[in-house]
Amino acid sequence: MNEVMEKRQENKVRMVQPACAICEDNGQILVRVEMPGVDKDGIEVSVEKNELVIKGKPAAAPVEGTYLIRERQTGEYHKRFIIDETIDREKIQAVMNDGVLQLTLNIKEAAKPRKIEIK
Amino acid sequence: MNLMLRNRPTELDPVEELDRLQRELSRWFDFGFDNMGLLDRALAPTVDLVETNEGYILTVDLPGVDKKDINLTVENNVITIEGEKKETRESKDKKRFFRKETWEGSFRRTISLPAAADPEKVHAELKNGILTVTIGKKEELKPRQIAVQVK
Repeated sequence: MNEVMEKRQENKVRMVQPACAICEDNGQILVRVEMPGVDKDGIEVSVEKNELVIKGKPAAAPVEGTYLIRERQTGEYHKRFIIDETIDREKIQAVMNDGVLQLTLNIKEAAKPRKIEIK
Repeated sequence: MNLMLRNRPTELDPVEELDRLQRELSRWFDFGFDNMGLLDRALAPTVDLVETNEGYILTVDLPGVDKKDINLTVENNVITIEGEKKETRESKDKKRFFRKETWEGSFRRTISLPAAADPEKVHAELKNGILTVTIGKKEELKPRQIAVQVK
Protein backbone atom coordinates (compact mmCIF):
# COMPACT_ATOMS: atom_id res chain seq x y z
CA MET A 1 0.00 0.00 0.00
CA ASN A 2 2.85 2.36 0.83
CA GLU A 3 4.33 1.68 -2.53
CA VAL A 4 1.08 2.57 -4.19
CA MET A 5 0.87 5.81 -2.26
CA GLU A 6 4.40 6.73 -3.17
CA LYS A 7 3.77 6.00 -6.78
CA ARG A 8 0.76 8.23 -6.63
CA GLN A 9 2.89 11.14 -5.53
CA GLU A 10 5.26 10.57 -8.41
CA ASN A 11 2.84 10.78 -11.25
CA LYS A 12 0.00 13.01 -10.29
CA VAL A 13 -1.35 13.18 -13.81
CA ARG A 14 -4.26 10.88 -14.40
CA MET A 15 -4.27 8.73 -17.49
CA VAL A 16 -7.53 8.65 -19.32
CA GLN A 17 -8.46 6.04 -21.89
CA PRO A 18 -10.11 7.94 -24.71
CA ALA A 19 -13.07 6.50 -26.57
CA CYS A 20 -12.17 5.16 -29.95
CA ALA A 21 -13.66 3.56 -33.01
CA ILE A 22 -11.79 1.33 -35.40
CA CYS A 23 -13.09 0.28 -38.75
CA GLU A 24 -11.92 -1.01 -42.07
CA ASP A 25 -12.51 0.96 -45.20
CA ASN A 26 -11.22 0.03 -48.65
CA GLY A 27 -8.16 -1.78 -47.41
CA GLN A 28 -7.36 0.93 -44.88
CA ILE A 29 -7.82 0.86 -41.16
CA LEU A 30 -9.37 4.02 -39.78
CA VAL A 31 -8.90 4.76 -36.11
CA ARG A 32 -10.88 7.59 -34.54
CA VAL A 33 -9.85 8.63 -31.08
CA GLU A 34 -11.92 11.19 -29.22
CA MET A 35 -9.76 13.42 -27.11
CA PRO A 36 -11.70 16.57 -26.28
CA GLY A 37 -9.48 19.46 -25.27
CA VAL A 38 -6.42 18.31 -27.15
CA ASP A 39 -5.10 20.37 -30.04
CA LYS A 40 -2.68 19.45 -32.80
CA ASP A 41 0.39 20.32 -30.73
CA GLY A 42 -0.61 18.22 -27.76
CA ILE A 43 -0.78 14.98 -29.67
CA GLU A 44 1.91 12.36 -29.94
CA VAL A 45 1.57 9.27 -32.09
CA SER A 46 4.38 6.75 -32.26
CA VAL A 47 5.05 3.15 -33.14
CA GLU A 48 7.05 1.18 -30.59
CA LYS A 49 7.90 -2.27 -31.87
CA ASN A 50 4.46 -3.78 -32.40
CA GLU A 51 2.51 -1.15 -30.55
CA LEU A 52 0.84 1.99 -31.72
CA VAL A 53 1.00 4.54 -28.94
CA ILE A 54 -1.28 7.54 -28.81
CA LYS A 55 -0.76 10.26 -26.24
CA GLY A 56 -2.69 13.47 -25.90
CA LYS A 57 -2.23 16.40 -23.58
CA PRO A 58 -5.13 18.85 -23.11
CA ALA A 59 -4.29 22.38 -24.19
CA ALA A 60 -5.95 24.02 -21.20
CA ALA A 61 -5.56 23.25 -17.51
CA PRO A 62 -8.66 22.10 -15.59
CA VAL A 63 -10.83 24.90 -14.21
CA GLU A 64 -10.12 25.89 -10.63
CA GLY A 65 -13.08 26.31 -8.33
CA THR A 66 -15.85 24.43 -6.58
CA TYR A 67 -17.20 21.60 -8.67
CA LEU A 68 -20.98 21.45 -8.62
CA ILE A 69 -21.10 18.74 -11.27
CA ARG A 70 -18.12 16.62 -12.14
CA GLU A 71 -18.57 13.97 -14.78
CA ARG A 72 -15.74 14.57 -17.18
CA GLN A 73 -12.56 12.59 -16.90
CA THR A 74 -9.67 14.94 -16.95
CA GLY A 75 -6.03 14.10 -17.39
CA GLU A 76 -3.76 13.01 -20.16
CA TYR A 77 -5.06 10.67 -22.78
CA HIS A 78 -3.19 7.48 -23.40
CA LYS A 79 -4.02 4.53 -25.59
CA ARG A 80 -2.04 1.63 -26.96
CA PHE A 81 -2.90 -0.76 -29.71
CA ILE A 82 -1.06 -3.83 -30.82
CA ILE A 83 -0.55 -3.78 -34.55
CA ASP A 84 0.76 -6.69 -36.52
CA GLU A 85 3.08 -6.94 -39.52
CA THR A 86 0.36 -6.38 -42.05
CA ILE A 87 0.22 -2.68 -41.17
CA ASP A 88 2.56 -0.47 -43.16
CA ARG A 89 4.34 1.52 -40.49
CA GLU A 90 5.71 4.04 -42.95
CA LYS A 91 2.29 5.06 -44.13
CA ILE A 92 0.45 6.15 -41.02
CA GLN A 93 -1.44 9.38 -41.44
CA ALA A 94 -2.86 11.43 -38.60
CA VAL A 95 -5.36 14.27 -38.73
CA MET A 96 -6.56 16.18 -35.67
CA ASN A 97 -9.83 18.02 -35.84
CA ASP A 98 -12.26 19.29 -33.16
CA GLY A 99 -10.72 17.08 -30.52
CA VAL A 100 -10.89 13.96 -32.68
CA LEU A 101 -7.76 12.24 -33.91
CA GLN A 102 -8.20 10.32 -37.11
CA LEU A 103 -5.49 7.84 -37.97
CA THR A 104 -5.28 6.10 -41.30
CA LEU A 105 -3.29 2.88 -41.30
CA ASN A 106 -2.51 1.19 -44.56
CA ILE A 107 -2.36 -2.54 -44.97
CA LYS A 108 0.74 -3.71 -46.78
CA GLU A 109 0.16 -4.69 -50.35
CA ALA A 110 1.56 -8.15 -49.71
CA ALA A 111 -1.01 -8.79 -46.98
CA LYS A 112 -4.05 -7.80 -48.97
CA PRO A 113 -6.29 -10.57 -50.24
CA ARG A 114 -5.26 -11.50 -53.73
CA LYS A 115 -7.33 -12.97 -56.41
CA ILE A 116 -5.52 -15.62 -58.36
CA GLU A 117 -6.69 -16.04 -61.82
CA ILE A 118 -7.14 -19.51 -63.14
CA LYS A 119 -5.75 -19.93 -66.58
CA MET B 1 -5.99 -8.25 -38.68
CA ASN B 2 -4.75 -7.92 -35.22
CA LEU B 3 -5.58 -4.52 -33.83
CA MET B 4 -5.97 -5.12 -30.18
CA LEU B 5 -6.24 -2.86 -27.24
CA ARG B 6 -3.90 -3.31 -24.40
CA ASN B 7 -4.16 -1.69 -21.03
CA ARG B 8 -0.97 -1.50 -19.11
CA PRO B 9 -1.62 -2.13 -15.45
CA THR B 10 1.20 0.23 -14.50
CA GLU B 11 -0.55 3.16 -16.10
CA LEU B 12 -3.60 2.73 -13.92
CA ASP B 13 -3.38 4.20 -10.50
CA PRO B 14 -5.48 1.99 -8.20
CA VAL B 15 -5.98 4.69 -5.58
CA GLU B 16 -7.11 7.18 -8.16
CA GLU B 17 -9.39 4.56 -9.66
CA LEU B 18 -11.00 4.00 -6.27
CA ASP B 19 -11.44 7.74 -5.89
CA ARG B 20 -13.16 7.89 -9.19
CA LEU B 21 -15.38 4.94 -8.32
CA GLN B 22 -16.39 6.62 -5.12
CA ARG B 23 -17.18 9.83 -6.98
CA GLU B 24 -19.30 7.89 -9.46
CA LEU B 25 -21.13 6.08 -6.67
CA SER B 26 -21.81 9.19 -4.67
CA ARG B 27 -23.15 10.76 -7.79
CA TRP B 28 -25.70 7.99 -7.99
CA PHE B 29 -26.78 8.55 -4.44
CA ASP B 30 -26.95 12.29 -4.91
CA PHE B 31 -28.99 11.68 -7.98
CA GLY B 32 -31.55 14.41 -7.90
CA PHE B 33 -33.58 16.53 -10.19
CA ASP B 34 -31.63 19.69 -9.62
CA ASN B 35 -28.59 18.63 -11.56
CA MET B 36 -29.92 16.45 -14.29
CA GLY B 37 -33.06 15.13 -15.82
CA LEU B 38 -34.05 11.55 -15.17
CA LEU B 39 -33.56 10.37 -18.72
CA ASP B 40 -30.78 12.73 -19.64
CA ARG B 41 -27.82 10.48 -19.20
CA ALA B 42 -28.15 8.11 -22.12
CA LEU B 43 -27.44 10.43 -24.99
CA ALA B 44 -26.00 13.33 -23.15
CA PRO B 45 -22.43 14.53 -23.19
CA THR B 46 -20.51 14.64 -19.94
CA VAL B 47 -20.32 18.02 -18.26
CA ASP B 48 -18.50 19.81 -15.50
CA LEU B 49 -19.99 22.76 -13.67
CA VAL B 50 -17.56 24.80 -11.67
CA GLU B 51 -18.30 27.75 -9.43
CA THR B 52 -15.67 30.46 -9.32
CA ASN B 53 -15.68 33.86 -7.64
CA GLU B 54 -16.81 35.58 -10.83
CA GLY B 55 -19.38 33.10 -11.98
CA TYR B 56 -19.89 29.60 -13.25
CA ILE B 57 -18.04 27.68 -15.91
CA LEU B 58 -19.81 24.87 -17.69
CA THR B 59 -17.57 22.52 -19.65
CA VAL B 60 -19.10 20.06 -22.10
CA ASP B 61 -17.23 17.35 -24.00
CA LEU B 62 -18.31 17.52 -27.62
CA PRO B 63 -15.53 16.04 -29.72
CA GLY B 64 -16.15 16.06 -33.43
CA VAL B 65 -19.21 18.28 -33.22
CA ASP B 66 -19.44 21.30 -35.47
CA LYS B 67 -20.23 24.74 -34.07
CA LYS B 68 -23.30 25.12 -36.25
CA ASP B 69 -24.74 21.84 -34.96
CA ILE B 70 -24.90 23.04 -31.37
CA ASN B 71 -27.84 24.91 -29.95
CA LEU B 72 -27.57 26.63 -26.61
CA THR B 73 -30.57 28.15 -24.84
CA VAL B 74 -31.09 29.64 -21.40
CA GLU B 75 -34.58 29.81 -19.98
CA ASN B 76 -35.59 30.41 -16.38
CA ASN B 77 -32.05 29.68 -15.23
CA VAL B 78 -32.08 26.32 -16.98
CA ILE B 79 -29.46 25.90 -19.63
CA THR B 80 -30.11 23.51 -22.49
CA ILE B 81 -27.45 22.24 -24.82
CA GLU B 82 -28.69 20.27 -27.74
CA GLY B 83 -27.47 19.37 -31.15
CA GLU B 84 -26.30 16.64 -33.34
CA LYS B 85 -23.09 14.76 -33.63
CA LYS B 86 -22.92 13.90 -37.26
CA GLU B 87 -22.10 10.42 -38.42
CA THR B 88 -18.79 10.14 -40.12
CA ARG B 89 -18.49 8.67 -43.56
CA GLU B 90 -17.11 5.40 -42.30
CA SER B 91 -19.54 4.96 -39.42
CA LYS B 92 -22.49 4.52 -41.76
CA ASP B 93 -21.35 1.05 -42.67
CA LYS B 94 -21.74 -0.56 -39.26
CA LYS B 95 -20.55 -4.04 -40.18
CA ARG B 96 -16.96 -3.05 -40.70
CA PHE B 97 -16.27 -1.99 -37.14
CA PHE B 98 -13.70 -3.78 -35.06
CA ARG B 99 -14.38 -1.62 -32.07
CA LYS B 100 -16.74 1.20 -31.35
CA GLU B 101 -16.84 3.21 -28.17
CA THR B 102 -17.90 6.47 -29.67
CA TRP B 103 -21.48 7.57 -30.27
CA GLU B 104 -23.21 9.81 -32.72
CA GLY B 105 -26.67 11.18 -33.17
CA SER B 106 -28.60 13.91 -31.49
CA PHE B 107 -27.89 14.84 -27.91
CA ARG B 108 -29.55 16.99 -25.33
CA ARG B 109 -28.60 18.07 -21.87
CA THR B 110 -30.33 20.39 -19.46
CA ILE B 111 -28.68 21.81 -16.41
CA SER B 112 -30.28 23.92 -13.72
CA LEU B 113 -28.10 26.85 -12.84
CA PRO B 114 -27.77 28.07 -9.28
CA ALA B 115 -29.92 31.05 -8.31
CA ALA B 116 -26.95 33.39 -8.36
CA ALA B 117 -26.31 32.80 -12.06
CA ASP B 118 -27.15 35.68 -14.34
CA PRO B 119 -28.87 34.45 -17.54
CA GLU B 120 -27.96 37.75 -19.20
CA LYS B 121 -24.26 37.09 -18.91
CA VAL B 122 -23.71 33.88 -20.85
CA HIS B 123 -20.80 33.42 -23.18
CA ALA B 124 -19.99 30.22 -25.06
CA GLU B 125 -16.93 29.04 -26.93
CA LEU B 126 -16.17 25.81 -28.78
CA LYS B 127 -12.55 24.83 -28.99
CA ASN B 128 -10.86 21.48 -29.62
CA GLY B 129 -14.11 19.60 -29.06
CA ILE B 130 -14.87 21.24 -25.73
CA LEU B 131 -17.72 23.67 -25.28
CA THR B 132 -17.03 26.18 -22.54
CA VAL B 133 -19.96 28.24 -21.30
CA THR B 134 -19.14 31.09 -18.96
CA ILE B 135 -22.03 32.34 -16.87
CA GLY B 136 -21.75 35.47 -14.78
CA LYS B 137 -23.12 35.97 -11.29
CA LYS B 138 -25.77 38.46 -10.36
CA GLU B 139 -24.09 41.47 -8.83
CA GLU B 140 -26.32 41.57 -5.77
CA LEU B 141 -25.64 37.91 -5.00
CA LYS B 142 -21.88 38.06 -5.25
CA PRO B 143 -20.10 37.52 -2.00
CA ARG B 144 -19.11 40.89 -0.68
CA GLN B 145 -16.84 41.96 2.03
CA ILE B 146 -18.48 44.30 4.47
CA ALA B 147 -16.21 46.33 6.59
CA VAL B 148 -17.21 46.30 10.21
CA GLN B 149 -16.37 49.35 12.12
CA VAL B 150 -15.54 48.93 15.71
CA LYS B 151 -16.42 51.84 17.80
